[in-house]
Amino acid sequence: MLANGRGNAMSMKFFAGAVTGALLTATALTPARAADMTNERALNPQREPQNWILHHGNYQGHRFSLLKEINTDNVKNLKPVFTVALGGFQSGGRYAFGNLEATPLVEDGIMYVPDGWGSVYAIDVSAGKKGVIKWKMDPGTDRAWAGDVACCGVNNRGVALWKDKVISIALDGRMFAINKATGEVAWERKVADPALGETLTIAPLVIRDLAIVGAAGGEFGIRGYIDATDLNTGKAAWRTYTIPGAGEPGNETWKDGKERWKHGGGSVWETATYDPESDTFYQGVGNAGPDWDPEYRAGDNKWAASVLALSPNDGKIKWGYQYTPNDPYDYDEISEHPIINAKVNGEDRKLVVHAARNGYFYALDRINGSFIAGKQYTYEMNWTPGLDPKTGRPLNYNPNADVQVYTEGTHGSRARPKSDKLCPAHTGGKNWEPTAYNPQLGLLYIPSIEGCDYIETVPQKDFVDQGGTVRPRERFSGGATVIRERLYGSLKAVDPATGELKADLKLTYPNYSGALATAGNLVFIGGVDGTFSAHDAKTLKELWSFNTGTGINAPPISYAVNGKQYIAVLVGSRQSQNVIPFSPELKNTSTASMLFVFSL
Amino acid sequence: MKAVMKDRSIRLAVALAAGALFAPVHALAQAQSSAEEARLIEFGKEIFKSKAVCQYCHKWDASGDQGYGGNALSLRATQLTPEQMTEVVKCGRPGTGMPYHDRFAYTDKRCYGYTREEMGKDMPPAGNDFLSNREVDAVVKYLFAKDVGKGPATYEDCVDFWGKDTKQCDPMKK
Repeated sequence: MLANGRGNAMSMKFFAGAVTGALLTATALTPARAADMTNERALNPQREPQNWILHHGNYQGHRFSLLKEINTDNVKNLKPVFTVALGGFQSGGRYAFGNLEATPLVEDGIMYVPDGWGSVYAIDVSAGKKGVIKWKMDPGTDRAWAGDVACCGVNNRGVALWKDKVISIALDGRMFAINKATGEVAWERKVADPALGETLTIAPLVIRDLAIVGAAGGEFGIRGYIDATDLNTGKAAWRTYTIPGAGEPGNETWKDGKERWKHGGGSVWETATYDPESDTFYQGVGNAGPDWDPEYRAGDNKWAASVLALSPNDGKIKWGYQYTPNDPYDYDEISEHPIINAKVNGEDRKLVVHAARNGYFYALDRINGSFIAGKQYTYEMNWTPGLDPKTGRPLNYNPNADVQVYTEGTHGSRARPKSDKLCPAHTGGKNWEPTAYNPQLGLLYIPSIEGCDYIETVPQKDFVDQGGTVRPRERFSGGATVIRERLYGSLKAVDPATGELKADLKLTYPNYSGALATAGNLVFIGGVDGTFSAHDAKTLKELWSFNTGTGINAPPISYAVNGKQYIAVLVGSRQSQNVIPFSPELKNTSTASMLFVFSL
Repeated sequence: MKAVMKDRSIRLAVALAAGALFAPVHALAQAQSSAEEARLIEFGKEIFKSKAVCQYCHKWDASGDQGYGGNALSLRATQLTPEQMTEVVKCGRPGTGMPYHDRFAYTDKRCYGYTREEMGKDMPPAGNDFLSNREVDAVVKYLFAKDVGKGPATYEDCVDFWGKDTKQCDPMKK
């Protein structure tokens, strides 16, 4: 359907044509009014390869661009073509400045991207050689209120498109519907409550007329949840807790007898993937709370450190699979769950896969959640010798114990608070920063954090509402982590049906950016030292790089305007405490807040 | 060498641990600050809050915290003297997550009598930002003026730190 106000006769004429035809006409009518985002378009992003209209590229989480003008032969000629300075610099809460972690969206020459404090920018990139900020919506985030209970930076991972709106969130828990053409806020809704230690950092997932997000706050004693907003009304549609309540399936895995599931963690802070065929979305779930005192919360602690398969219309859980029962490591499993069809033992299977924080790659049956394959992907691994070949459970999981030891000494305990070395480090493996999938080559690219760290357990005190002394907004983590050695990194290519390693590139720095795969047979990643690089999709050999002069903490995308391909990435980093203190050569790196765009 | 360091570390550790049990006595006068003193305290607050982001680990009221910044001690309950705290800010604490903030720490013997090589695995991490002597002096003065030896932070302390344009202090209102 075309823009309103053009007259019925014209609308009918163009509606009779192909979707492509309608889209071209819409483009010709810009910049006044771009086409509305529809469910049909969201289901078929491959019809508009010049655009990047969904957070992960497509609902299946592939982060794969069909554009191939830039390829392995000519990428050596890639160069920065323009940059745009953004804001979000202000300090707030525990942070000296905002961070940039967002995946931009581009639709018909307009980029939509948020900064860490939740200002949304509409940047006109249609000229090709420059970007002009058309409008900026500043939500006026309460920076101290939200920033004091944000564990890990001032983060906002992206926006979503719906009809003529941009759907965004802010760290202080609000969701916004913004007029795409003008930047005017149509409505806002309070979703997460920082009074309870909840924040929002996740890019919304729009399925039909629902915007799905989840609460961050796994170190602040929240009870995590997935939440849907009815975009037609701006009101709550449903909320599903990731930690089941009394009488709900999985609640029996909280065996403390003191209802500690009420502050059990299970945060949600990276966008789910969606399978239209089965109308199921796959949401990764965060660590159990308190993070490092597993004796406080005896039992497997479902559904912390798990993936849930849910129904979008009502939030009902179809199935769940838990990666690390009674998680003593802070191995959140919130990150993306790509949907891939592949042959397994000669048979066509419908998979949902996950490069887990815990250092293993998993392939599950996405219809029933059964375990298909799992394989270690980190160089170093010591908390378990492997996975059970039938169930995928850690081999040293003890079904007769409520508190899991796993490998002795890899996590702290009340008897022995300071752990020995833990590999992979509590950071993972892989944190939220996404993998990318090339369906033409059948390869999944995992940008990893490599190396190990340590845990120091402190016995957790109870919340005031459970007879203790801990008040809302106070830390509820059962201790701390300590990094003593440099972390490093890698980029790996695996067969998603088996996890088998196909190519491997060791990197100096741990990955805090995420990957983009393209049909030009390239993989792009950003580095904490500011290096933005392109790699051969088969060998992972670096073919090109450009140093942006400050850390990159966001995933790249690709888009096209007037037939020319661009690679875009937000540049400017939190100066991670996991990295900078151990990398003296990065000591004086300043931060920045920039958009970088590259082309041939 | 190791014995000497152990002795100093132990004394430091005892001083820090004892802070949790006893009401500390410190030498800094509670007299009215001069204008220069007031400026230095405000400067120290900025360093604590934003430049060195001490509050990330120690919390805004310096009452200590857990999590990714480590099990950071309460500075409200500390037994350290201003001189000892100055040394800890500049040199960090060996074998812990407390970082050093003197650019030249461990390049010579100024920190506990040890160089980086002698420290080996006990080497503390570098702080995100190095601090000059004046900056260290300011943040120590700030802590002793506002936090050290005080009971739990009050609503007034919160507003003093965060200002009034935020809900941050609402839960502390009586």
